[in-house]
Amino acid sequence: MNILVCVKAVPETAEAELEISRSGDAVETDDLVFGINEWDAYAVEEAVRLKEARGGTITALSLGGDEAEDVLRRALAMGCDEAIRLEDDELAGSDPATVARALARAIEVRGLEPDLILTGVQSADTGYGQIGVLLAQRLDLPHATLAVGLELEPDAGRIVVQRELEAGTLERVELPLPGLVTVQSGINRPRYVSIMGIRKVRSKTIEQLGVDDLELGKVGPAAAVWSLRTLSLPPAGARAEMLEGSLAQVCARAAEIVREKGGRR
Amino acid sequence: MACCTAADHVTSSAVESTRPLFWGIAGVWVFYAVAALAIVVFVQGVAARVLAWRRAGRGRLPALDASRLWSMARNGLLGLRIFRGDAGAGLMHLLIAWGFLGLFAGTALLSIHEWIVPFLVGDVYLIYSATMEVFGLLLLAGLLWAGVRRYVVRTGRLSRTPGDLVPLLWLGLVGVTGFLLEGARLGAGGAVRLGDWSFVGEALTAIRLPRDQRLVVYQGLWWTHALLSLGLVAWIPRSKLLHTLVAPLNLMVESSPEPSPMGRGQGEGTEPEPTLRARDLLAIDACTRCGRCVDACPSRAAGEPLSPREVVQALRTGPVAAATQTGPGRDLWYCTACLACREVCPVEVTPLELVARLRGAVIEEGSAVPPKLGETLERLHKYQNPWVSKKGQKAAWARDLELEAPELEPAWLYFVGCTTSLDTRAQAIARSIATVLARCGVAFGTLGKKEPCCGDIGRRVGERGLFEDQREATAALLDERGARRVVTSSPHCFDTIARAYGPGREVLHYSQLLARLIDEGKLELARASEGPTKATYHDPCFLGRHNGVYDEPRRVLAAVPGIELVEMEAHGASSVCCGGGGGRMWQTELPDKGDLAGRRIGQAVATGARLLVTACPLCLVMLEDARKTAGLEDRIEVVDLCELVARHLAAAPEGAGE
Repeated sequence: MNILVCVKAVPETAEAELEISRSGDAVETDDLVFGINEWDAYAVEEAVRLKEARGGTITALSLGGDEAEDVLRRALAMGCDEAIRLEDDELAGSDPATVARALARAIEVRGLEPDLILTGVQSADTGYGQIGVLLAQRLDLPHATLAVGLELEPDAGRIVVQRELEAGTLERVELPLPGLVTVQSGINRPRYVSIMGIRKVRSKTIEQLGVDDLELGKVGPAAAVWSLRTLSLPPAGARAEMLEGSLAQVCARAAEIVREKGGRR
Repeated sequence: MACCTAADHVTSSAVESTRPLFWGIAGVWVFYAVAALAIVVFVQGVAARVLAWRRAGRGRLPALDASRLWSMARNGLLGLRIFRGDAGAGLMHLLIAWGFLGLFAGTALLSIHEWIVPFLVGDVYLIYSATMEVFGLLLLAGLLWAGVRRYVVRTGRLSRTPGDLVPLLWLGLVGVTGFLLEGARLGAGGAVRLGDWSFVGEALTAIRLPRDQRLVVYQGLWWTHALLSLGLVAWIPRSKLLHTLVAPLNLMVESSPEPSPMGRGQGEGTEPEPTLRARDLLAIDACTRCGRCVDACPSRAAGEPLSPREVVQALRTGPVAAATQTGPGRDLWYCTACLACREVCPVEVTPLELVARLRGAVIEEGSAVPPKLGETLERLHKYQNPWVSKKGQKAAWARDLELEAPELEPAWLYFVGCTTSLDTRAQAIARSIATVLARCGVAFGTLGKKEPCCGDIGRRVGERGLFEDQREATAALLDERGARRVVTSSPHCFDTIARAYGPGREVLHYSQLLARLIDEGKLELARASEGPTKATYHDPCFLGRHNGVYDEPRRVLAAVPGIELVEMEAHGASSVCCGGGGGRMWQTELPDKGDLAGRRIGQAVATGARLLVTACPLCLVMLEDARKTAGLEDRIEVVDLCELVARHLAAAPEGAGE
């Protein structure tokens, strides 16, 4: 069973103070720390668990610069066997369709024939949630999104996917392999990767492919169906009200507000 | 060795008292064959342990240190550490150990007498005989006492497994059959009656046997006693009695606790799977399951499942990776690395070293790392602190503090530390230290925004690679700044930089520097307005037990006018952990967490003190939280030692120290 898993390096923004670049169409990332996209960490963990149960090899694929290199290193430390990085200088400013085209070409050029492709549902930075589906289209593979559970049929010819729908409902779908699944967060608990674990895979080579290797033709903004105009930070809300007084007074007032807004009666 | 014990005395002639070994015994060759077998089994058992230690390879046993011989003599031969907190246990052990040793020495003398120089004759033999009677009685008395403690009084910390029972019974049977044999021999006419020189044997002749059975009973007892004794010899290396051989050795090589898998200057680059080192195996073999560590463990006292003893025992039987799958292996995240377990261990085993080894195995394997801990470690790696996922916050504590720019060459590098830099409560420590040092005219600098984590957390939770990276980065930065003298807010940074970074720097905890400044007359303190105040001092584990700094903080406290120190019952080396060490501060998700800090602040309140003074940011945060949770705001104030000092600075200008 050969698995391909797509990973992306994203800036960590949970506690950071974000700044928009002067051009207005990007977030300043100089002071931000990059890490593996949360959903992709679940996808890698799922791939490694499938491998541990059924054998096979895992190839991790990423598009990006040095940060992507670190993320691939981490995927290797988690248990992936090979890693491929697509250099992103010329691909910068590409829309999801072009990125998916590049990933699909990389799979073809490298002659990979994965039985299963896993991606995260979405990325934490742009949140388009399109790569998995577009990649499946490109490769003409069946796909299932929002997976919160994967079960491989004994003969590995099919995979049963639990999909997360609204309001806690689950949908079970069966997918013939080869196929593609986008993985939702919470499907597993990604293992901790120690610094020593990263050091151990330091000597593994990460294969690099450029736009020329992929014969992609037009890429970047020129090939984009749509383009990003501006980013803006949400305006600070003006309706914050600081409650003052004793604990009891604060609580009473808070309860009152909840009632006023139509909360619990 | 113990093949002939106390009462086994025979004389050959009516004229002179001495000892023929095999009176009335046929088939002596059988005895020698069994003895040879017993010795082979014994040697094989010991060799198996020694080979296991040697196989552990990496990190050979520390060289035997002559200065440790004294410790071995006191704590090994006299067992002085066993008396601590339980004099009864100490005496009981002394009786058994010296009863056994005396009989062992007697047997050795007898062997010399038999095979080399016959000297146990006449008066010498009489004295020998009486002495052996005494040792035999000591042994039996000790064993009886031990049995009563374990099975009648049922002292809480003692386990009652077959492995605990069999050695007691076996030793007891050897002693009892020895005395019975002596009596039977005297009764059967196999020895000159020595009267009071063999008082136990004489007394036992009161048991009357029919004349025709006397010899048979004697012979039966002879063989029983011989086989039991030889069997015991063979069994020692495979039982808890192994401690008789290994504990003295452990006491000899244990010169200072290094409770981490990453000692000074060790292990650059990648390492194979975490394994036990020779040093660990020695400690495991020295453990007698006495359970003092369980009683001393603050986690256990707070109702948590961790048992230091079970951690040691889990590693006795299996490899590290297997031990992480067992109960004790899962409980290891409760450990606060407080070192109380080692403090009370009679043979100086350090369970927390083994906890660190197990933690290392879990971290490297990855899948069983508690999620919150994993997040903390990632944050440490990416942001160089365990608190915020944001860069460049380390100097925020100094923002509103008016400090003169440091001189060209500051005498001291003040290493602020993560918690002191970032926790809103603990930041007061940094401000007070900066204020006090400035007032004393001490030129100091900091690493400012660039200050990395010293590596303490990685070191304690077993994230070896992270620790090594941080040690390297911090040491390089300190060297780049030419910092030969470092003073820290936190006992944790102090311990790590002083003990795991290698030589070349003078490292002090701030309490030590303050004590020095007081001695030099550079720090003058004035009486604050509120009048005399009772204060109690909580010894931080990494200042006290880990580094023996008990005195300096108290000297600083004594120099604060109007402060009257009242000690808690558990203070100094027996201080009880606040629950913040060993990475516990960031283990908020542990199931069934006990209230360690709540218990400690209760002890402080019990002294009637109005102030609970400590000298560690983690203790400060933990105890402050516990104070609020327990609703003790009106009863006691939690304050850092330097905060208190800053309040009492002579002629302090407005706003200083806060």
